[in-house]
Amino acid sequence: MAAAAAVLALTLSTACSAPGDDDEDGGSGSGPIKIAVVDAQSGQLSSLGKWEYKGVKLAVDEWNAKGGIDGRKIELGLFDDQGDPTIGTNLARKIDSEGYIAMLGTAESAVTIAMAPILQQAEIPNITSGQSPGLTAVKSPFLFLNGPTSTTYDESLAKYIVDQKKITKIAMITNNGGYGKGEHDAFTKALADRGIKPVDDQVVTTDQKDFSAALTSIRQKAPQLIFVGAEEVESGLIVKQARDLGIKVPFAGAAPQGTPVFLDTAGAANAEGTIVSSPYLSNDVSDASKKFAADYQKAFNEEAELHGAKAYDGAQIMLTALKNSNVATGKELADAIRAVKHKGLLGDFAFDDTGVGIFATSIGTITGGKLVAAS
Amino acid sequence: MQVFVQTLVGGISLGAIYALVAMGFSLVYRTMGLVNFAHGNVVMIGAYLASTFYLSVRLPFALAMVVAIAVTGLIGVIIERVLRPLENKDFDLMLIGTIGFGIVLDALAILIWGATGRAVPSPVRSAPLDVFGIRIRTYDLVVLAVAAAAMVLLVLFLQRTKRGAAMQAVAMDHEAATAVGIHVGRSNAIAFVIGAGLAALAGGLVGPLLYVSPSMGGALGIKGFAGAILGGFGSIPGAIVGGLAIGVLDSFAAGHFQGYSELVTFVVFAVLIMVRPTGIFGEKTVNRA
Repeated sequence: MAAAAAVLALTLSTACSAPGDDDEDGGSGSGPIKIAVVDAQSGQLSSLGKWEYKGVKLAVDEWNAKGGIDGRKIELGLFDDQGDPTIGTNLARKIDSEGYIAMLGTAESAVTIAMAPILQQAEIPNITSGQSPGLTAVKSPFLFLNGPTSTTYDESLAKYIVDQKKITKIAMITNNGGYGKGEHDAFTKALADRGIKPVDDQVVTTDQKDFSAALTSIRQKAPQLIFVGAEEVESGLIVKQARDLGIKVPFAGAAPQGTPVFLDTAGAANAEGTIVSSPYLSNDVSDASKKFAADYQKAFNEEAELHGAKAYDGAQIMLTALKNSNVATGKELADAIRAVKHKGLLGDFAFDDTGVGIFATSIGTITGGKLVAAS
Repeated sequence: MQVFVQTLVGGISLGAIYALVAMGFSLVYRTMGLVNFAHGNVVMIGAYLASTFYLSVRLPFALAMVVAIAVTGLIGVIIERVLRPLENKDFDLMLIGTIGFGIVLDALAILIWGATGRAVPSPVRSAPLDVFGIRIRTYDLVVLAVAAAAMVLLVLFLQRTKRGAAMQAVAMDHEAATAVGIHVGRSNAIAFVIGAGLAALAGGLVGPLLYVSPSMGGALGIKGFAGAILGGFGSIPGAIVGGLAIGVLDSFAAGHFQGYSELVTFVVFAVLIMVRPTGIFGEKTVNRA
């Protein structure tokens, strides 16, 4: 019992330090500039979190190699939120009390939304990799997105599929998690704007393993295309099982459907023809992305992908804002971020009042086991 | 009709996996009166081992499975060895011990294989069979055949061999069994080894159907456990029927209730258990607690 009390006391003392302790370092002064990276490093979503951290680290290492900002080094603190909003809110308080002046991450919309009010109160600007429209609904002036929202992803997708390819018989399969729900609503709206109602609208759970019922129902409606709104692994399983059930039409979706995890899980042959809406199709689209991919390969010995690129862009914007504002904190830093115009890997960033900086994605298709720009 | 049959087919193949997991739960419970909460995590370790030997070492799938079962069986021995001093002394500690082992195995898996997971391509590459418009994956048939063989072997072992009979005797009255010269510790160790082997079999078989990741043990463990309870905890035929029932129930709930399917599955499960607390093959089983 005494031991338990001691542990509790210890946890409390580290979780919330004494008042007046706040913002003592990291901001003004001469010590290192402390930036927190909050992302899942364990659990099912840890692959996202690890890509994200690598992207951030690459950008920060670049700046530090050039001497940092104002002669001060940039110091990253990595926090594992396990993809869990509850842990995220605890971490928000922790990074505030430990004097971090800015935060990068998370890759999870739900976690970011949970953290947003605390970060707003603490006046810690945050650039997230989440894409749920719910992020802008928070209306925090301290919250920025390093990529487009689901609305943009799915509007681009609908424009390509319906307006350009004239495909109108579309079935949907989405999961009922935070990401899938956002995709479901955004794509349904994009279709409705074009006067189209999906021929089938199946919702699965995030934990589901067998999709025979949903897919058989879809097969009977004979759609020309199936929209899938689920994370990498689940989407892969859906596509694999669909092919086994004899469904031959292509799938379409947003960022998760362009990842190697999706391709591996589905099997390259099964994923062939998948239409992907993504702001970062491959490492070969521009000189900047080629350089990024080469640096990434050199630093981490693995191939760069969208999430690393997004986080890299976000970090560049944050560091540019810090430089432009002579390492300001709080509201001043947030305004500096909003003012940054950045030519990034994902496109040209120009933030509006909602914290969104990019409003277009490109369309790619999986061809020969690789994601390439669509014609 | 087509949707109905296709849903049934989809449910049965995963149900067979749940049945294998349920058998592991039931076997350990039957011989030791202990719920092995690490069982789901052992399934995950088995899946990783099988996929490693299959994909990295490049053994043929069947051989990779055999090696994975052997190595996982060894983990069963270790768990039993560590818990043995507690046998008949502190039952609650034994239960907590199994939970602890589960956490350790999860951490080990992340340490060895990383947190990301991997996809396992199907070892059977032929196209699905088409029976009157119902598509049946050839690999599903392999899963069903292997699962059925494992079930028959286990039942024969328990009912027809001396060792099996001895294990049942230990379950009924371990003091009397000790008195007639049966080694209780060894009997328990065998139960754990076979349980772990079944877990590896389930994990290895499910790899190509799903995705091998550190968190897969949770989902499979809970469904397998539910299958074991539904069939009548401790009963081997019960575990088979219960596991299949959970798979099919899951599949139909997904078809009818979509996003709420998980909820519906467990509500139906709870109602069934309330109506018949001892499960389908309800018998008054061991309880040495």
